[in-house]
Amino acid sequence: MERLLALWIEALATDEADGSTLRDSLALLDALESWCPFSDLVRLGLYVLPLRGPSRFFGGEDEVMKMASATVRDVTGHDAHLGVADGLFCAELAAREQRVVRVGATDDFRRAQPLEVLGNKELATTCRRLGLYTVGSFADLAAARVGERFSTQALELHRVARGELEELPGQRDPRLRARLDHLRGQRATRTEQLGLFGDRGAGDDRAFAAAHRVRRRLGADALLVASLRGGRVPEDRAALVPWGSPIVEEKTEAPWPGRIRSPSPATSLAHPVAVRLHDEHDLPVLLSARGLLSAEPATLLLTHYARRKVGWYAGPWPLVERWWVLGRRRAYLQVVLALGEAVLLVAESERWWLVGIYD
Amino acid sequence: MFAFSPLRPPLPRDLAASLRPHTLAKSRVLPLGEPWKALVPGGGLRRGATVVVEAPAGQGGFSLALSLLTASSANGHWAGVVGVDDPGVLAMAELGVDLRRVLFVPRPRGEWAESAADLLDGVDVLIVRPPSRASHGVARNVMDRVRERGTVLIVLTEPGAAWPLPPDLSFVITESRWVTSSRLDARYLRVRIAGRGEAARAGEHVVVLPNRRGRAAAT
Repeated sequence: MERLLALWIEALATDEADGSTLRDSLALLDALESWCPFSDLVRLGLYVLPLRGPSRFFGGEDEVMKMASATVRDVTGHDAHLGVADGLFCAELAAREQRVVRVGATDDFRRAQPLEVLGNKELATTCRRLGLYTVGSFADLAAARVGERFSTQALELHRVARGELEELPGQRDPRLRARLDHLRGQRATRTEQLGLFGDRGAGDDRAFAAAHRVRRRLGADALLVASLRGGRVPEDRAALVPWGSPIVEEKTEAPWPGRIRSPSPATSLAHPVAVRLHDEHDLPVLLSARGLLSAEPATLLLTHYARRKVGWYAGPWPLVERWWVLGRRRAYLQVVLALGEAVLLVAESERWWLVGIYD
Repeated sequence: MFAFSPLRPPLPRDLAASLRPHTLAKSRVLPLGEPWKALVPGGGLRRGATVVVEAPAGQGGFSLALSLLTASSANGHWAGVVGVDDPGVLAMAELGVDLRRVLFVPRPRGEWAESAADLLDGVDVLIVRPPSRASHGVARNVMDRVRERGTVLIVLTEPGAAWPLPPDLSFVITESRWVTSSRLDARYLRVRIAGRGEAARAGEHVVVLPNRRGRAAAT
């Protein structure tokens, strides 16, 4: 069974009538998927992420757990209970207890659980009368005996207890996928160029006229509007496009897909500028294969002559693009320069780019 | 499909319901959000006013100007941004600006004042960044047109390239400091706010811009 990270978010477990729970849940799923592609929303309130791959890329399970917590907090404002174990059933139990079960210790963990966790009151009562209190003691019963003594549902629970089934019946909401897809479909139709919506009022007409005046004078690509392409992580596709340009649905590779946490820089370079980052010996700082800096950054060279002392920095954080594609190791660095200006850099091995200025 | 095409799919109902009303009473003052509501004389931006935001490069001037848009944007007003290259759309969204009603002219090709004039009738608030110190004549011209049209003009300047005429309202960033932990958390700005012809003297205030969520806030 796969080692999984489960996120239990109480606040997202109740399906509100206004649809906000589903919308919030989808937003969170998109955000998690942006850096962990096989994230899964099992049922409302319960997310599960594969742990092995992301741990290797991001440098350990702790790092992945931190990112997951932060993502939940940033997107929803809520705190998640995290747990790690093998298989979905035990991962959720671990999350309820906020426990990281050691590699290889899932069996013991599962066996020690009280029978109630199997979700069948009758079974639990009957077992207690037989002097069985734990999942392990139930698991130790012979399958044939279970068939005699208990209902057919119990046979399935028995397999879960023995670690033969990784998912508890009823643990997953079978309708959720369809509901999410439906919601995504609704959002896809919102692939609109911003600034052009439905019924136009007088204010919108005046804005259109103004836009046309600029275009006539400066050309069609001089007047831009924001474009948020609907889809997985809309924030990743925020861009400026000429007003009135056709919406192209293809997967344009924005130069630096992925997101870091807010606040975002007020100046965001559509065409990142190559810069250099040097250490105290005026040698280039490199991003190693393991995503670490070769030395402490000391100077940022914007051009050959424009040098800025580095006052503070944070990172590097791996760029949350397709981490499982090897060889595309890039990372973000936030830097505050000596005069207090803050910038956002991206590194790829020994090359650095300025991508944002916090102006 | 083309943005103007009649074949555009209709808006989903819940989205349509959330859109702001389009016909707005022409109020004399445009609203301000946090933290400016309490700090700016009058609590809003008077239509036709020229507002100057002065800050050294990279010290928060653009963010401050954007934060002045938030409340009016949320109320359905249109905004324009002229002469600011590579505006951060995400940062704007975080601040609370409604990107559905913002027009951008990042490269007016030396014609920032003409582009401003083009947009004046179509937007209620206009941010401009002249590439160099504006001449007296150009400044006079722009201010007159803005007053005539009832637009709010926000001019971004740096020390040493000041706006040549006294504005109706000014924000001067005198100090800028980032709070950091494992990353950039928030920035504290010390801002001197002065209104022309206001009984109150210039006031100096410290605000958070941006905070962790990317919004402007009081301390």
